Amino acid sequence: MIEKGKISALQMAMLTNPTILATAILSAPAITAKLAEHDMWLSPVWASLAGIAAVYLAWGLNKLYPAESIIDISVRIAGRAAGKLLGFVYLFFYLHVNGIIVREYGEFVVGSFLTKTPLGIVIASIVAVSAFAVYGGVEVLGRCAQIMVPVVVLLFIVIIILLFPDLNPENMLPFMEKGIKSSFMGALVPQGWFSEYFVMTFLLPLVADRAKAPKWGVISAMSVMFILVIGNITTLMLFGDITGTLTYPVLIAARYISLADFFEHVESIVMAIWVTGMFIKISVFYYILALGTAQWLKLSDFRPLVLPLGLCLASFGVWAAPNSEKLLHDLGTTIPFYLSAVQVVIPLLLLLIALLKQKLRRQNGG
Amino acid sequence: MRFLRIILGLKEWSNRKQTMQQGAQAPSGQDFLAPDLQTNEQVLRSQYANCADVVFRDIAIAGSTKALLLYIEGLSNTVEIDQSVLAMLMEKGLVSSDVKTLLQQKVAVSNIKEVTTFTETIQHVSVGNPILLIDGQNRGLALGLSKWEKRSIEEPTAEAVIRGPREGFTESIGVNTSLLRRKIRSPKLKMQSMTVGTYTQTRIMIAYIEGLADDTVLQEVMNRLERIDIDGVLESGYIEEMIEDYPFSPFPQILNTERPDVAASGLLEGRVVILVDGTPFALVAPVTLYSMLQSAEDYYQRFLIGSTIRWLRYLFFLIALLMPSIYVAILTFHQEMIPTTLLLSIAKSREEIPFPALVEAILMEVSFEALREAGVRLPKQVGAAVSIVGALVIGEAATSAGLVSAPMVMVVALTGIASFTIPRYATGIAIRMIRFPVMFLAGTLGLLGIMLGLIVIIIHLCTIRSFGVPYLSPMGPMKARDMKDVLLRAPWWSLNTRPHLIGDNNPYRQSRGNKPDSNKGSE
Repeated sequence: MIEKGKISALQMAMLTNPTILATAILSAPAITAKLAEHDMWLSPVWASLAGIAAVYLAWGLNKLYPAESIIDISVRIAGRAAGKLLGFVYLFFYLHVNGIIVREYGEFVVGSFLTKTPLGIVIASIVAVSAFAVYGGVEVLGRCAQIMVPVVVLLFIVIIILLFPDLNPENMLPFMEKGIKSSFMGALVPQGWFSEYFVMTFLLPLVADRAKAPKWGVISAMSVMFILVIGNITTLMLFGDITGTLTYPVLIAARYISLADFFEHVESIVMAIWVTGMFIKISVFYYILALGTAQWLKLSDFRPLVLPLGLCLASFGVWAAPNSEKLLHDLGTTIPFYLSAVQVVIPLLLLLIALLKQKLRRQNGG
Repeated sequence: MRFLRIILGLKEWSNRKQTMQQGAQAPSGQDFLAPDLQTNEQVLRSQYANCADVVFRDIAIAGSTKALLLYIEGLSNTVEIDQSVLAMLMEKGLVSSDVKTLLQQKVAVSNIKEVTTFTETIQHVSVGNPILLIDGQNRGLALGLSKWEKRSIEEPTAEAVIRGPREGFTESIGVNTSLLRRKIRSPKLKMQSMTVGTYTQTRIMIAYIEGLADDTVLQEVMNRLERIDIDGVLESGYIEEMIEDYPFSPFPQILNTERPDVAASGLLEGRVVILVDGTPFALVAPVTLYSMLQSAEDYYQRFLIGSTIRWLRYLFFLIALLMPSIYVAILTFHQEMIPTTLLLSIAKSREEIPFPALVEAILMEVSFEALREAGVRLPKQVGAAVSIVGALVIGEAATSAGLVSAPMVMVVALTGIASFTIPRYATGIAIRMIRFPVMFLAGTLGLLGIMLGLIVIIIHLCTIRSFGVPYLSPMGPMKARDMKDVLLRAPWWSLNTRPHLIGDNNPYRQSRGNKPDSNKGSE
């Protein structure tokens, strides 16, 4: 095994939770609001089905080959040439997606807070911090997640509670104005994020208490769904119809917080919390990229790859989109399908082929 | 790179071993004592040539058998030697029968050990045990009559408590082990002895409770101690740096304490205590960050007080680390976060300050550190005065001269006080060190920079281990059971289990149902 560390199923859940949530919470309310309008809070529920599907796809493939990730599994199922090619597709996919994530982070920070700081610096700093964590291996990532995620979730809930005085429940009406279809449409974008649960394929071989893994995977997806629903309900009650026109509704919501004329303008705190989640997300993708590359090249250690891949990652972050408008447009249109195509459709096909092969073999053998 | 390696001594010295061992100990050739007294005396005299403090006393047992008594002045109890050894052996009417029975009957010393080699002889002499060599015998007797001047047991100054035992370790290892033994009387408390240092021959005691301490940890401690090859050990700090897991980490991975009660509580939790002769500081391992943030008194005060103080300490831990950085970040990047009236008054006080907030903060922090260090080093009589006056003059004069703003002085003062609430000096220093890079990050990237800095610190803390125990356990990896002693100080009647990963050998401290209840036992 390239990675000698082990994590618990709980740690895996805590790693995957911000892996989905960090980017989703920021732009999900706006994007779903455009399509689902008043039923936007329902959309994450439908979208989470993709997450659960991804969890079970990863688990199904892992049950067949417990010690391997998709990189080796694809070779087993599709044969050497096609499998390696598929492995490369996955690696490139994760490099590209992580580049997009890094860019999202950079655009958000530069656009909302450090307007005069060059994008490159912002991107490079988070990649460097993530590289430090990735270098420590999966155990360090798991522990970091265990320390950070509870704090992040707690602070998020505190912020929601602080918004209570400004909420207007009437904004949620009318319920199901255009039937159930619009909330389904709103789920099309978030399902792409939820499909990222497929990263579990890299983590499952490292989980010590394997039996609990699917349970915790689903709990993790449910918790993401729950937080997204809360986030959507809050922004909907706060902004009503204009939610869809805002870029980062949760951030703007934080501006409404005012406590005793002292605790005001806490957007920076929201950003600080969000950076923590983003760090875990980028690190997880970065880690599976490094680990996957080492598996693909059959190296004995992934650590020498961390630095070169970090350079690639920062460059991909810069190349991901020409500007923030294009990035946001892509995020709302093509990228979700790109995500679920690679992380749900291909694994599903692989799993079907594997099960079919198994059945044929059994028939031939028996 | 090469330069660095040379500085750190990582570069291999080919002739290192030779130069180190040269003449350090052990006479060459035959190490065993000869049956002939003259030869033995010659060898020993040549070993102790030019040592004016070594006393060779020729005696004749019962007037006939020749013998030699050897000891070092000031290390042995000469009164006892005269009364219980010399007077007895030199008695006139003594029938010189078998020497062995003679010694058994006549030498009134309780602790006698036989030595057969010169190395052993020299070891005993150097710790103060007089050696008796008898003609015709190829063995000597080490008499346990060592006695030297030592400091009496005093209150530990570095770890003061309001409630709790007032005794502290001393420089003498014998006293220290007795202090531990007086707290834990069970024979399960084991003490293994070891000698480190080619020249100093420092005695080290590894104390642990059998059945509580983790065997692999104990073995690891032993292995690392045995690997040490050094010329001298003058303080337990030498040992600490030689056996810690991550030598480049700013965080101490071994706890040092002057208090026998802290060492004893470590033992009871399944930790290993290392006592080093010549220093009152004992080492406790393995430890976690949380044990570094706990004071002995947390456990002596009632649990509500203990928990509250612990929470206060966590808060001040964060303040010590982040306060100046947050101030700099908010002033430089996020002015909107400050309420308007406060912002106005800060702006007024900063009106004439020529520096940006970052420079101002670093200026003040550095001068504060200098004052603190000077306060520690100066003689007691001037120390307090100098630090108070220095702080007043620098703070007051710097503000009125328009170099630093008054809020900044306040921030720095608060940070300084906060860093002193950390009960472990080494951990406090670590926090102070890390504060500076975080301040730079705050000055360049604002709150984002602070967050990145914090994340890096957390990653680092998640990476390091102390003898295999993750430094942040029970937070990461999480162990819900152990939160009772981290998030709060649970009352004694519910501190039922020992910490996970440290006391797993015997996880239960006490029976359940210790909770006091006035109705109990009345039915």
